[in-house]
Amino acid sequence: MIREYYRPKTALEAELLFSAGDKKFVPLGGGSALSRSKQEDLCVVDLRDLGLNRIEVIGHKAIIGATVTLQQLLEFDPIPLVLKDVIRKSATLNLRNQATVGGYLVSADGRSPLAIAMMAMDAVLIWHPNQQPQSIGDWFSLRQPRGFWINAIQLNLNLDVDYEQVSRTPMDQPILAISVARWPSGRIRVAAGGFGNAPLLVLDGPEDSGVLEAVKNALSDSGDEWASAEYRQAVGQVFVRRILDKSASSDQSK
Amino acid sequence: MKTVSFTLNGIVQHWEVTDGETLLTSLRREGYFGVKFGGCEKGECGACTVLLDGKPINSCSLLTVQVDGRNVQTIEGMGEHPDQGWKKTAGLHPIQKALVESGAIQCGYCTPAFALAAKALLEKNQNPSEEEVREAIGGILCRCTGYLKPVQAILKAASNLRGEEDEQDWVEELGLPLPLDWPSGADEPPSAGSESGSPERLTLTRRKVYMPRMFVTPEVRQKTLSRIGKPELKVDAIKLVQGKPAFAADMEKRGMLIAKVLHSPVAHARIKHIDLSKARALPGVAAVLCYKDIPRVVYSTAGQSDPIPGPLDTFSLDSKVRFVGDRVAFVAAETEEIAEQALKLIEVEYEPLPAILDAREAMLPGAPVIHDEPEYVNFGESNPQKNLAAQIHIDIGDVEKGFQEADRIYEAEYVVPKVQQAHIEPHVVVTYWDEDDRLVIRTSTQVPFHVRRILAPVLGLPVKRIRVIKPRIGGGFGGKQEVLIEDVAAHLTIATGRPVMYEYTREEEFIAARSRHPMRIRMKTGVKLDGTITANEMRVLSDTGAYGCHGLTVTGNTGHKSMALYVGDGPYRKSPNIRFYADIVYTNKPPSGAYRGYGVPQGFWPLERHMERISRDLGLDPIAFRLKNAIREGELHPFSTAWSEGREPRPEIIQTVGLEECVRQGKAIIGWDQKFGNPEWHIVPGKPHLRRGIGVALVMQGTAIPYLDMGGASIKMNDDGSFNLLVGATDLGTGSDTVLAQMAAEVLGTPVEDIIVYSSDTDFTPFDKGAYASSTTYISGAAVVKAAEEVAEKIKKRAARMLKERQPGIQVSPEEILLEDRKAIAPSGEYVTLEQVALNALHHTDQEQIMGIGSYYSPVSPPPFAAQFAEVTVDVETGQITVDRLVMAVDSGVIVNPVTASGQIEGGMTQALGYAVCEEMVYDQHGRARERDLVDYHIFRANEMPQLETVFVQTYEPSHPFGVKAVAEIPMDGVAPAVGNAVLDACGADVFENPITPERLWRALKEKQSAAN
Repeated sequence: MIREYYRPKTALEAELLFSAGDKKFVPLGGGSALSRSKQEDLCVVDLRDLGLNRIEVIGHKAIIGATVTLQQLLEFDPIPLVLKDVIRKSATLNLRNQATVGGYLVSADGRSPLAIAMMAMDAVLIWHPNQQPQSIGDWFSLRQPRGFWINAIQLNLNLDVDYEQVSRTPMDQPILAISVARWPSGRIRVAAGGFGNAPLLVLDGPEDSGVLEAVKNALSDSGDEWASAEYRQAVGQVFVRRILDKSASSDQSK
Repeated sequence: MKTVSFTLNGIVQHWEVTDGETLLTSLRREGYFGVKFGGCEKGECGACTVLLDGKPINSCSLLTVQVDGRNVQTIEGMGEHPDQGWKKTAGLHPIQKALVESGAIQCGYCTPAFALAAKALLEKNQNPSEEEVREAIGGILCRCTGYLKPVQAILKAASNLRGEEDEQDWVEELGLPLPLDWPSGADEPPSAGSESGSPERLTLTRRKVYMPRMFVTPEVRQKTLSRIGKPELKVDAIKLVQGKPAFAADMEKRGMLIAKVLHSPVAHARIKHIDLSKARALPGVAAVLCYKDIPRVVYSTAGQSDPIPGPLDTFSLDSKVRFVGDRVAFVAAETEEIAEQALKLIEVEYEPLPAILDAREAMLPGAPVIHDEPEYVNFGESNPQKNLAAQIHIDIGDVEKGFQEADRIYEAEYVVPKVQQAHIEPHVVVTYWDEDDRLVIRTSTQVPFHVRRILAPVLGLPVKRIRVIKPRIGGGFGGKQEVLIEDVAAHLTIATGRPVMYEYTREEEFIAARSRHPMRIRMKTGVKLDGTITANEMRVLSDTGAYGCHGLTVTGNTGHKSMALYVGDGPYRKSPNIRFYADIVYTNKPPSGAYRGYGVPQGFWPLERHMERISRDLGLDPIAFRLKNAIREGELHPFSTAWSEGREPRPEIIQTVGLEECVRQGKAIIGWDQKFGNPEWHIVPGKPHLRRGIGVALVMQGTAIPYLDMGGASIKMNDDGSFNLLVGATDLGTGSDTVLAQMAAEVLGTPVEDIIVYSSDTDFTPFDKGAYASSTTYISGAAVVKAAEEVAEKIKKRAARMLKERQPGIQVSPEEILLEDRKAIAPSGEYVTLEQVALNALHHTDQEQIMGIGSYYSPVSPPPFAAQFAEVTVDVETGQITVDRLVMAVDSGVIVNPVTASGQIEGGMTQALGYAVCEEMVYDQHGRARERDLVDYHIFRANEMPQLETVFVQTYEPSHPFGVKAVAEIPMDGVAPAVGNAVLDACGADVFENPITPERLWRALKEKQSAAN
């Protein structure tokens, strides 16, 4: 239950709150997840006035302010089309207008499509203060903040990303999702989701050899009340094969 | 507390709010009731949509303090009634007008959200595509409409805002051509706003409305009717589109307490010890009740006529809990927060008992007995010692002989899941003592009169001291045919003397409300090689959960409706061999109950999957095989002499069967002949992992319960020639108030707007059994017609006398008078207006109140029929199914209002689509629910819908004054098996259990592959 709400005008003002130490202060993005928290005696710090709602492109990187909404990100042209579709699958328009990218990543679980895609893209969370970077993989494995709040999310745009999911209906949560990112260097990073508390990193390597086996291994323990591991392993391999085939034919056409 | 300053609907506001308060809570507290509560925890339903700085957001998941300095719009700021006496207004917003005119409003609970989302879209983009419209409203769940009409309305509003006329080609682009035939023979559907020309008439615009396709039989064509068959505006649409406080929770009452219930965390246990003292001591708590505090009265929560056809096995509170979610204690407190805190302070020690979580184990020797209470009252074959809530054994003909005569016997087992009604308005009730110390229960119910009767002994009050008011209902679908939560609030009002509101959360809907009975069904069918069915057997194991509400009657209908469809051919047609056996057992899962379709969807999944498999195995055309064996006009309903709900079965001849025409129409629309058996069509070019398939299911339902269901109506005439129509029937969003008004208007020769409908209030309206069993149009409609005929007779008598007085010597008898255009017209053309008749009757001569009363129950239950078609695309590597198109051709008799009726079909098909591919309620080994919200329990959204098409095949049912049959439930029956059959057609894989989830299909594909190897 939220007991206190603060909306600092400056980062310094916000830092003072988080440094106070006598209460449990939590950063508030859009409020879509936190506003009805059942946690006891929560004090929320609304980051809205801190100027974190901008997206900048520096070189090949998009620096996405933490309070950029999902809809803002969807409407941001430089992001790959695939990612736009993934954002649509991640939340309805009402929620996209409200949920922030920072808040989304903090509350994401294994069935969160955009988090899965960002895991594949090796997004980096930039924490305040000190602009402390944290890889998205570290964040999801430890859930340990590197600062008071996330300032921005850094996304590499110089890569190809693809995403496949199976679900009961087109806009349902994924039962299994696979996202693959490929860098010009040949580096490939594969993430899986549709289960568990966080997206799963399947592979991060210099090339795609062994990726099918990696998917199978990574999903060997993925069985839950929504699908068996056997099913996810099989479909995971199908998705990776499809994405790689698509990528190969796209390379050929270039 | 903080002061929040913001602009609300253009006016700067300064509100004092607590830091943790959501915008939804603040708005509703301040009287903005157009913002609805959907009970959800993750913002998934969107009923609470408001515009924040012009963008749609969920007010339930935004703190009020977050809107400081911002701009908020609610439906209250969008438009208003166009005519407010001497004050002229700008009227409704064009989007609201379009929603009203397009028939986009059913229960109306989500309508304000749609209107606001559309406003945000059209302010940004005045020429949106259909896809963009669907995306814009994708955050708002609607369980009634199937989204088709809301999408049409928004596109229409866009074109109107662009200053364009509704163009014909635009209609065609949507795939909704004009009717195949129209009774009046006109080229265009009639425009409802142009017929009277009366200045006071609530005419929105001269409108074009998207009509469903209509096929009209000659019998129907002969009837010349002025109101029946017309797409009249829904009588409650104007208030609903403005978000007026029309629903149960939309009220304020000084000193109102909020109720909460402590639910059991265990599946089966005795309450060894319960301590309420800490909860009672919490400041702000007004009452805490457990089983020790209230009388122990056994009853059934099933909202059915007396005597309830099922066991009495429920107590308001008990010393035993029988499922995770069962009631342990009630709390009433000043605020929701305090009530929730109080729940945490209740100390309970449970003595766990072994639980039954699989229906197959319920009747095994040594199984734990779920109902060991001495007060248990048996009904029929129920036997609590065996965990048997009910049992049915029906043998028609000589089934064993039929099997012996068959060339082949086909046997298979099918499984259907537990599913939720998922009405967007949760269960909600407000109770209070009125000034006469009578208990008022304002509740979102389908059965107000049953609520009163059933609760009276539970509360220790006579029926006469209880008044039940049913305001508008935000969807029910059978879930509110249960006396589910009214007792909670009522006990707390009795305990405290104060008004109490109890509103379910979405989680409570899943863990504590009723749902569709899951079943395991074994089919055995004997067939000759020419396709003649010689015997058909269905054996059902039905899981009623912890209580037996509706257990017998729901499961009875599983056989009664589905197994009646195929009687066999040749000699078997006259003497069919049909067996239906069912065990309805208790388990420690949440109770099952009524859900639109009432057992029939459970019957048609196995039946129609089975028929498909048989026809394919025999190499027969699946449709020809079905029609060869299907029941025909003039034949005896085979179950009519074997079983009925709560009454002696009596023989019933089926008078109208439009099934063959339904098949013909449906086939033509979906292009069956071009697709079925065409290998090329089944391939998706460039995507070898995708396969297309087409499937069909034929279905039938019933119309009301013969010799049981009764509806009443009364009509009185007012000074201006308008009429008050009072009905006990409960419009739960279906549009029944509108079709009842149309029937009254037809008889009284008046426009529908002159019929002021009030439904329903146990103090003021005549009795009606309530909204269930597809009965309102037929039963309550016939009652309305009788009442209207009585009024018409009195009007005619007086009119004849007035005409004679006006023109001495004129010869006119009352029987010759025609009521039309608000006039009573003599054959000579002389007339008096209804207003003149009313003034004469009320004020001038031989004064009397012209009024009539009628009630009706039916000796028959004429079945509607339908052919349901589905097209799917299957990913054969992942098992993913995409349903591309649903076409339903329906024989529901004469259609009173084509727009509301097609809305019923579209919404029903959409619910049934969930049953086909995504909806199910699953429990873990402790009986805990997997689905607790509308995220995990996914219902279809606007931006993922297949194409929906409806065609009505209008037969004329002679047992009703206007030839109607039911329309409400039949769309629930055929979608799942048609999709299952389309999947089989696409990839050859047979799935026996619905919903057809990707993994289930993937496993079926694997099995098929290993069988082939």
